[in-house]
Amino acid sequence: MNGTHCLICGGIRQDPLTVRTLLLAGTDPGFCKNCRRKLAPIDLDDCCASCGRDLRLIDKSFVSGSVCSDCRNWAKSGRNGLFGRNRSLFTYNEWMKEIITMFKFRGDALLAEGFRTEFRSVYRKLKGSGWENLRDWLKTGERRAAGVKYIIVPIPLSKERLQERGFNQAVLLAELLGEPLTHALVRPGSERKQSKKNRRERLMIRKNPFLFNEEAAGSISGHKVLLIDDIYTTGATLRFAAGALEAAGPQRIDSLTLAHG
Amino acid sequence: MLLPRSDSIHPNFNQDLQRFLFGREYQIDELPFPEDMIRQHVRKGLIALRRGVEAVDDGLFSLLLGSRRWVCRRCGNSDPGLFGSCACGRCRKSCVYCRRCLNMGVVRSCTELATWVGPEPVRQPVTPGGNGGLCEWTGTLSGEQAAAAAELVRCLNEGHSFLIWAVTGSGKTELMFPAIEYALLRGERVVLTTPRTDVVRELFPRMKASFPSVPVSALYAGSEDRIPDAPLVISTTHQLIRFHRCFDRVFIDEVDAFPFHFDPMLEYAVQKAAKEGAPFAYLSATPPPRLKNAYLRGDLKGTKIARRFHGHPLPVPLFCWAGNWKKSVAQGFLPPAMLKWIKGKMEAGIQIFLFVPSVSLLRELTELLQREALDHVAGVHAEDPDRHVKVTLFREGRIRILVTTTILERGVTVPAVEAAVFGADDPVFDERALVQIAGRVGRSPEYPAGDVVFFHNGRTLEMVRARRHIEQMNEEGGF
Repeated sequence: MNGTHCLICGGIRQDPLTVRTLLLAGTDPGFCKNCRRKLAPIDLDDCCASCGRDLRLIDKSFVSGSVCSDCRNWAKSGRNGLFGRNRSLFTYNEWMKEIITMFKFRGDALLAEGFRTEFRSVYRKLKGSGWENLRDWLKTGERRAAGVKYIIVPIPLSKERLQERGFNQAVLLAELLGEPLTHALVRPGSERKQSKKNRRERLMIRKNPFLFNEEAAGSISGHKVLLIDDIYTTGATLRFAAGALEAAGPQRIDSLTLAHG
Repeated sequence: MLLPRSDSIHPNFNQDLQRFLFGREYQIDELPFPEDMIRQHVRKGLIALRRGVEAVDDGLFSLLLGSRRWVCRRCGNSDPGLFGSCACGRCRKSCVYCRRCLNMGVVRSCTELATWVGPEPVRQPVTPGGNGGLCEWTGTLSGEQAAAAAELVRCLNEGHSFLIWAVTGSGKTELMFPAIEYALLRGERVVLTTPRTDVVRELFPRMKASFPSVPVSALYAGSEDRIPDAPLVISTTHQLIRFHRCFDRVFIDEVDAFPFHFDPMLEYAVQKAAKEGAPFAYLSATPPPRLKNAYLRGDLKGTKIARRFHGHPLPVPLFCWAGNWKKSVAQGFLPPAMLKWIKGKMEAGIQIFLFVPSVSLLRELTELLQREALDHVAGVHAEDPDRHVKVTLFREGRIRILVTTTILERGVTVPAVEAAVFGADDPVFDERALVQIAGRVGRSPEYPAGDVVFFHNGRTLEMVRARRHIEQMNEEGGF
């Protein structure tokens, strides 16, 4: 695909000329500076340790020990289970909302490509590089194997929704990581869209919409699992998904989403 | 006589489906009819299906290279940079989709587009009024206009396309009335299309008043005057993309307006909406080179009207050097030459249109003008939510200086206004834009003259061409 034009506005990207761009024959599809500037990236060193929310955006009274009050409520509710932490790339601002509308509801699947670099770099950080692990080891004395791979599980859509939309946005995002995907979950029901419900309604639901796909049991057991979705809003969906996976006995379950809000 | 019930199935086909789909093209799942009913009609050969996105056969060379080009059948897109592909949840394969017409619902290579190819629906004929005609416009055409109108009717009847090249403010709209009336009386479907929403909104009430006995449908984003199956349709070119071989006659107003000559999709939309061999009437003050050359060569029939309806010459633009205007705005001052001109006009109580090349410059300049203690200055651009309010205030005279981008270069008529272009050497301002801007001035018979000043930092070919264009038109008009 032609990478010289912005995927959103169609304008010429005018990336700064570097040795890399000079030598590479083609550029990967992406966004122009203007469209990129309107995004609100989340600093991974200054986000809620649990849900990945940008802590700079909320009042300090809601934060204690770099965990936001929502996450403390989740911990109190006892519904966390094996769900560890979530990390998101961007805050769900008006611009992100527009992009996600274009991507998900209008069906412009190619937009996912624009987030490839960010997605991969956050994934690398989550995985932990050898150097960082060594530093942690020296600091805390807890030793971790360098860069243990996650089993990547995209959040599935119901058959009906997949028919309607034509693609699963979580799968497209997960594919950006360039690692094999494990379709360990299925979504048999046809409940209302999450985006059409309010916070209360979302948190009220107690029936898990996901089922565990037995065929994937072997690959999950004892491994770290990374769930991929487009938006983390209340965290209910991801916790349901984690709950469905628990039976397979993973080591821990984390998640990575494009937006948080 | 028994009237057919709306849900009754005609021996051969469903009439609702026929009426819905005739002259249109929709994706199968967009249609408000059950799919098996559509499939039945397809089997009977009443509905034709085609793929939404198809691979173009480029011959052996590309076959060997393995490169494939795609074309979107809905919007005509064939730019390889404007297609995406993803694993499709419907056909379970990698599917190509068109990114250009996404906002009308995605079209994939597995999408099927349906159109009606069976018999044409029978329509109620329009009944002529007392004078045997449909047009109840009471004005009169000037001699030049009447001759052009007669020529237009004649050429369209012979099935030829026709160009009306008429200077700004010469009364182009009224010129079309006889030709439209003639076609409507013959029971034909007529569309009057233009690239600009503002122009559609302005034309619609005028057409409705002139053709009171004809159902008129106005199509633009957010329109509330859509009448299905209306014989006279006024539409933005964007809206025509849903049509397929529907209209017997096509009138295109402001053919050269942005985005028509920038966006091949709109050209495709208009071509697709017309029946095969339908004649086109093009109207413009500044025809695009393709039409202009065809007319000058004699391939395209047409006529030229070089005189405004009030009989006064077009105002000729003045060039005024303003130095490096970009730099001076960045440093926070206005070029003295311009400031002097503006202050002079303000003291004389004249309203000013000030055209600028970009939105960012518009904001800075508006602020600078306000700081110069000039009252009632406002800036307006395409994405401005208060756009229509500000234009209305300007019309009422409550805003004295309106700073604007090229969006207001046509369609807006304010009686005693003068115009200036700030940064006329910017590539945004081509010959056509500059001619249109000059055409804002002196449109009413009471104030037939006024200044048009191009403030520049070095005159460009486009500026010189624009001036020559206007001078030439004046010469042809006998001044």
